[in-house]
Amino acid sequence: MRFGRISKAVGVAAVAALALSACASNSSSSGSSSSSAEGGKKGGSATVVEVNGFSSFNSSTATGNSDINGKIAYATHSDFYYIDNNLNIVRNDKFGTYEKVSDDPLTVKYTINDGVKWSDGAPVDANDMILQWAITSGYYNDAKTDADGNVTAGTSYFEYAGDTTGLGLTSFPEIGADGRSITLKYSKPFADWEIAFGLGNNNAAVPAHVVAQKAGLADAKALTDLLKGLPKGNPEAPAAPNPQLKAVADFWNTGFDTKTMPDPSLALSMGPYVAKSIVPDQSMTLTRNPDYTWGPQANLDEITVRYISSAPAAIQALKNGEADIIAPQPSADTVDQLKALESQGVTVDQGAQLAYDHLDLNFNGVFADSKVREAFMKTVPRKDIVDKIVKKLDPNAKPLDSQIFVPAQAKYAESVKDNGSANFQDVDIEGAKKLLNGATPEVRIMYNKDNPNRLDAYTLIAESAAKAGFKVVDGGLGKSEWSPALGNGTYDATIFGWTSPGVGVSNVPQLFKSGGSSNFSKFSDPEADKLMDELIVTTDKNKQDDLSAQIDKKIWASNYGLPLFQSVGVDAYSDRITGVKYMPNQTGVWWNFWEWAQK
Amino acid sequence: MVTYIVRRLVTAVLILLGASFLVYLLTAASGDPLEELRTNPAPNKAQLIQQRTDLLNLNVPAPLRYFIWLRGAAGCLVPFANTCDLGKNLAGQPVTEALGQAIVQTLSLVTAATFLAILIGVSLGIVTALRQYSSLDYGVTFMAFLFFSLPIFWAAVLLKEYGAIQFNNFLKNPDIPLGVVALIGVIVGLIAVSVAGGSWKRRGIAFGSAFVATAAVLLYVSLTGWFRTPGLGPVVIALSGVGIAFGITTLTAGLKNRKALYSSLIAVGVGVVAYFAIQPLLDSATFLMIVLLAVATVLVGMAIGYFMGGYDRGQSMRAAALTSLLVGALIFLDRFMQSWPEYFNNSRVRGRPIATIGAGTPGIEGDFWTLGLDRVTHLILPTAALILISIASYTRYSRSSMLEIMNMDYVRTARAKGLSERTVVMRHAFRNALIPLATIVAFDVGGLIGGAVITESVFSFSGMGSLFVNGLRGPDPNPVMGFFLVVGITAMVFNLLADLVYSALDPRVKVKS
Repeated sequence: MRFGRISKAVGVAAVAALALSACASNSSSSGSSSSSAEGGKKGGSATVVEVNGFSSFNSSTATGNSDINGKIAYATHSDFYYIDNNLNIVRNDKFGTYEKVSDDPLTVKYTINDGVKWSDGAPVDANDMILQWAITSGYYNDAKTDADGNVTAGTSYFEYAGDTTGLGLTSFPEIGADGRSITLKYSKPFADWEIAFGLGNNNAAVPAHVVAQKAGLADAKALTDLLKGLPKGNPEAPAAPNPQLKAVADFWNTGFDTKTMPDPSLALSMGPYVAKSIVPDQSMTLTRNPDYTWGPQANLDEITVRYISSAPAAIQALKNGEADIIAPQPSADTVDQLKALESQGVTVDQGAQLAYDHLDLNFNGVFADSKVREAFMKTVPRKDIVDKIVKKLDPNAKPLDSQIFVPAQAKYAESVKDNGSANFQDVDIEGAKKLLNGATPEVRIMYNKDNPNRLDAYTLIAESAAKAGFKVVDGGLGKSEWSPALGNGTYDATIFGWTSPGVGVSNVPQLFKSGGSSNFSKFSDPEADKLMDELIVTTDKNKQDDLSAQIDKKIWASNYGLPLFQSVGVDAYSDRITGVKYMPNQTGVWWNFWEWAQK
Repeated sequence: MVTYIVRRLVTAVLILLGASFLVYLLTAASGDPLEELRTNPAPNKAQLIQQRTDLLNLNVPAPLRYFIWLRGAAGCLVPFANTCDLGKNLAGQPVTEALGQAIVQTLSLVTAATFLAILIGVSLGIVTALRQYSSLDYGVTFMAFLFFSLPIFWAAVLLKEYGAIQFNNFLKNPDIPLGVVALIGVIVGLIAVSVAGGSWKRRGIAFGSAFVATAAVLLYVSLTGWFRTPGLGPVVIALSGVGIAFGITTLTAGLKNRKALYSSLIAVGVGVVAYFAIQPLLDSATFLMIVLLAVATVLVGMAIGYFMGGYDRGQSMRAAALTSLLVGALIFLDRFMQSWPEYFNNSRVRGRPIATIGAGTPGIEGDFWTLGLDRVTHLILPTAALILISIASYTRYSRSSMLEIMNMDYVRTARAKGLSERTVVMRHAFRNALIPLATIVAFDVGGLIGGAVITESVFSFSGMGSLFVNGLRGPDPNPVMGFFLVVGITAMVFNLLADLVYSALDPRVKVKS
């Protein structure tokens, strides 16, 4: 009886053990993980912290064009050029070449080298360029919108976030016989032709063969043929939407949006790195693209991107070795905390960003008189503003002295010398009083009062202006109200920020030309307009700079307002990593990711 | 009853409608989603504004836009129709999808913390109630209020600084200096004194033994480099197992019930034997296997109790089952410790195991134990932070409820009829003391989904809290509404559940329609 019980128990135990071993994982996983660890040693790895989570492998759409998507696209794409941290265009001849074939009409030939391919083995060729051109030129769009912005007729195919004005001037490209080149012909010269077309950088391309397949076409060639056969869209005479192109566009618009690792064909790379894994809203791992030979060779085998939205958390992660490179939101606290880490080998880089704050004066109302504008400008304590707002972040900060250039651009120093900014370096209350001649104009200044920096700037400006006799009215509006109020005529002066593109001149007429879409202060100078008309059709960089400098001078001469200071950016990296360099534009530290190396 | 529930549900719907309308307007007023585009001087500005306006219907005034949103949200009421549309965020991701991901993150962060806080808080509350006005009571009260009043953003940052960064530095060369050993020994000794109470001699012995034991353990740990290669080993498991057996038997059956005590001790013996037997099996563990093993452990314990027989089989079975489960947990813990060196030296961990951000090391690969450790090293600090601040309410509630019960007439009756103090406390008082807690627990479980906004942000968890905060900062209205909807509904449902559970637990409370 007793034995019976025990043997039964043993039997049950044996069956249970069998059952349990059946559900055991059958891989000898300890071995495999150590071998992968050794594989990672060769080129090393780095962890970069970003603020926002990755959301799309197509960073050119209206919803996909966030900073992080753009950076991932930058690391997984190659292009004819890249932009360095002095805001110069650096050509990448290993990827392909572009050359200006003729100036009149402006004709540019793009050729991709043989052997450049997507990470699934398909070549990067003319088909990809044609699709990219079709998207970034808005060639087929024939949507007509009413005053409220609602589409009344026609179709807008690709929800492209970039600017189509440049390539909108081109006709359907001529495809080279080798199948790897296209030639773009502009109907009139276009100043920013060098950065108008490309497959990487700000408007990264997606593979044409994948888009074609997903849209139900046979292959990339079929897509090119489809595009070739369609006429240019005409908003005045909208045609019925082409169902095939609509399918292509619909897929392009949303098909690449994902928070998780998609089907590999949707995450193809033709750059130094290829996406390996994604944890939604947590991290993303990029690994070396084994085929890549057509451009700067990256040092690291792997780059991990982690998303941390709070700056203190990013700093502690750097301190704890969980992050190697961070670029947190700069604040006085952030800089102090980072400086404290320098003792453990962390390097902190500070610098000016392309965003800058400025004071604009309306060219109507109380400021219709140029003398009043000049008097007001004389009272603006630009140095105090910089001291109070920016110095604590970057001790080297100075007031910005150009309406068009930023100090990172070579032409800045020269332009500043004689653009008239020298007259507004220091506060000149007496001079202002003299100009006002006893008048006490009432000035309403509009700004975002929920932004502490703008509030500080306003306070300093208002205080100083009052000394000269201005009656300053606080027109500060809340976070949700100030930006819709821009240009609506309810204020006389406003303090807010613009972002300089760094490269290219297309923005200049938007800001300063009569009727420009962002010309909120209604500045209008016929001579400046003429210069700007010339500027946007000038294809030579040096001539562009000269024209821009002349425009800069005109703007200062008309007492437009004052640029105040550039926002400060900060990045920091641990002593494990070398090769990180500060970059003022939106690519940030990523601009030279191939130079990053593990010590 | 049914009318009561229906009435509550109808009110809940009305409240949700009103509140969501209010939240929608507030969110719309909190910022302008077009701000970044308006201050963009690019030539395609109008086009970008147009695209975002289309995405968020910004050309409709906010009070009317609410009804567009409501129409989409109403689609969620139709089951399996796939018509649920809570709008999209600025990145074009459907809010329903974002909510799904965020809820998973939040639950992984707060579930363990909440249950641990309930467990620890309630036990502390009961113990302090039984030792009312002792130094332990004062000590716990003081600490509970101290932690309760700590701002969590500050406490969490401190935890990260000392619990992660400095601790990882310490792990590089894990030697505990003698001064620190003495200090920790004194602290533990003082705690022991406050728990022990009684005469000065008794306190002295408590202090001395606690001090010596702590110092010995710390020295051992320091000298053997235990932090780098930790483990319990069969001896520690056996010794702790015996302790557990006595403890569990005291609580569940009383030490006088020898059959229960022997059952528990046998369970410990079986556990130690099993420790050797299942090591090879554990090397290739999966989650399912651990669950099955836990079930098997409980069954073995119950079997031991059953075969011990006696006049009260149930008690023996309960004691042995609990004991074997806890010993099993020790074996489980020991196996984790065996994997520690492998985890510690992993090329992605690089000798800094305790993490300050996120839910896992990106791209880590390994077996069940390595991945489990990775989970633990990431969750330990946020969990500790959440426990610290939420423990206070549980201790206070359970203490006062226990005190009230202990002064009840029926407890006096129970004592008067000669029941042992254990039976009085565990059977008569403790269970009834838990009734009022059911309400708070139901509330808190409902609040779980809402996430811990600040904790999530400090520890970089992308859960419900960060969905809400980032939505407000954006401003990105649809995720905020999605968050509100989920949190509002869970709060309402759990409020209702709390009331129903209360009436079910306590027959004196009747739900009237």
